[in-house]
Amino acid sequence: MTTITSKVCIVGDFAVGKTSVVERFVTNQFSDKYLTTVGVKIDTKEIDLPDTDVRHKLVLWDVAGSDRFGDKEFAYLRGAAGLVFVADGTRFGTVDSALQLRGQIDERYGPIPSVILLNKHDLASEWTVSEERIGELGLVFADVYRTSAKTGEEVESALLRLASSIVETTLSDAP
Amino acid sequence: MKLPQVVVEHLQSDFLAETRPFCVLIDANHRVVDTWGDGEWLGLAGLPAGTDLFEYAPYLLGTLDEGPFRLNFVSSPAGAVMNLVTIPHKDQHYAVFLDARRAHDDLQKKQQVSNEAVLLQANQLKLIARQRDLIAELVEAKVELNHHRRDMERTSAGKTRFIAMMSHEFRTPLASIVNYSDLALEKDSGLEEMRKSIEAISRSSRHLTSLVDAILDEARLDAGHVTLRERDFDLLELLDDLSAMMAPLAAEKGLSYATRVDADVPTHIRADDVCLRQILINLLGNAVKFTEEGGIRLYISCSDGRLVASVADTGPGISLEDQERVFRAFERGGNLQSIRSGAGLGLTITLGLAELMRGEISLDSTPGLGCTVTVYVPIVAVDDVVESEAPLPVPDASVFAVQGTTVLLCDDDEDMVALLEHYLHRAGYALITTESGAEAVEKAAAYQPDAVIMDINVPGLSGLDAARELRDKDYAGPIIAHTASKLSAEDQATFTRYFRKPAAMNELLMTIKSLTSNHAA
Repeated sequence: MTTITSKVCIVGDFAVGKTSVVERFVTNQFSDKYLTTVGVKIDTKEIDLPDTDVRHKLVLWDVAGSDRFGDKEFAYLRGAAGLVFVADGTRFGTVDSALQLRGQIDERYGPIPSVILLNKHDLASEWTVSEERIGELGLVFADVYRTSAKTGEEVESALLRLASSIVETTLSDAP
Repeated sequence: MKLPQVVVEHLQSDFLAETRPFCVLIDANHRVVDTWGDGEWLGLAGLPAGTDLFEYAPYLLGTLDEGPFRLNFVSSPAGAVMNLVTIPHKDQHYAVFLDARRAHDDLQKKQQVSNEAVLLQANQLKLIARQRDLIAELVEAKVELNHHRRDMERTSAGKTRFIAMMSHEFRTPLASIVNYSDLALEKDSGLEEMRKSIEAISRSSRHLTSLVDAILDEARLDAGHVTLRERDFDLLELLDDLSAMMAPLAAEKGLSYATRVDADVPTHIRADDVCLRQILINLLGNAVKFTEEGGIRLYISCSDGRLVASVADTGPGISLEDQERVFRAFERGGNLQSIRSGAGLGLTITLGLAELMRGEISLDSTPGLGCTVTVYVPIVAVDDVVESEAPLPVPDASVFAVQGTTVLLCDDDEDMVALLEHYLHRAGYALITTESGAEAVEKAAAYQPDAVIMDINVPGLSGLDAARELRDKDYAGPIIAHTASKLSAEDQATFTRYFRKPAAMNELLMTIKSLTSNHAA
């Protein structure tokens, strides 16, 4: 079996649920308690790619929440093969933060396979992000997911989709 | 200043105690060459040479590409928090791990407080916005509530006026009935005087009935219980009937009465003749009632498939402000309120009937110069009219029973029992009387009468339940409901016939005779 190891960074504004998304994906657990991440929190998850003999080891870098990156934050992203942008559907400003980060990262590192997660879909009735705005996100991100780290809705689908994109990109970039 | 050795050693000691540095020298393939320090707090203790460091420290991925590189506050999967420094040396790298737990935890606490404060503020803003929305909704609801309250007050005031007016309207004929009854009962009343008293009682009773009918008609229209029944009929015949009815009333007041029909108005039409008749009776009746001099004109024409019927009078007219009000229930032109009798529902019912016929009404009046009310209703001209069933024979006052016919009468009203007893005995029926439903069932089972006349609101078992029980006990004779209550179509089906009090006695007697003849046959 071949093992591919990829660094995936999870970025977005603070308190959008990045750590909860990772926790749901890695351990299938969720905690309601909000605990601010300082620096970066590393976790790993191995997945077997369907219909292949490839195991994909994802090294997940849960980066402290920010609406704008400086040099210290950019350092965390070095060598990232994929990016998970997370925004909070109940705070429309966090979508703007995700778009701003996307612009900064594109400028610094060029295009990297990405997905965006509009999180807290379990609170859909409190969402302030309009369908029109979500439609606009589709023009910037190839894959837009409405997720809930609380219920698990679409979290695994989004991460697996990104893992596939990374493999596709890796294979296409291979000599 | 050059620090003395003792100070340098002190600082070094503190730094080493605080950061517990662990260094790993790795080759170009990130395999361990050598280690320095205690890696236990990192979970990296005892790494043998040749081990792939990335296996144990995957967070080093991406940190060895360029020269000296530092990452602060990296939390490892094993739970360690470190500052990580990679330093290239020839074709190898030194990876230095420094324990940063304490500084991380201090910063985390501060950051937590700061972030929670921002979240709290955002939530407060959301709550304020929500509060503002709720206040706006509340204001809107209050405005709507006030609007409804004013409507209710208007309705309530209208109903209060109506009750006061009806009290007067009911009391007038009631007073006549009570006083003439007393007069008729006086011992020295002569036969002629008694006959006049009874005529007065009869007139007042009929007037009371018409008042009650008007109120019930309005209620039925309001509740949507009136349905359109269109049929082919002779319009000129209907207009002749109206003339026969209205012309004498107009003549009594010294008024002229005329009907004019345009030549292009079809003789035979399809519409609801009962509704149309009631509309015209109401309008013509009003015109006669309110006109003291001059006359009444009914003008019939046709326009765009609609029958146009205008009733014009030379009465006092209706002021502009009253013109809309007169079509609302329980309202009448203000200047007329105290001088005319009636429920004040005539125009409301008329409008309701016209709308039921998919038609409309217009009113044109100048105070002092009379009033013209025009009704527009859609009609279809038809070639001919199939004669309807022959009208019911005029009730004969001397209806005689089939020999040996027995009728069971169940009613708890003594006067009504006495009245029916009088008529039934006079007609030659044998009579069994009961006052309760249970007794009626018992006696009907025992004596098997040829017919049963059943009141509904009787003590104990109701007349309706008694009728059902009789049917369950296979009583096959006719059961006639005779009640002041309104019965649903389903309840009416329990009975052979249904008479609403006050019923025309001759009609009731004819029905009993007809049903008992059939039954006997």
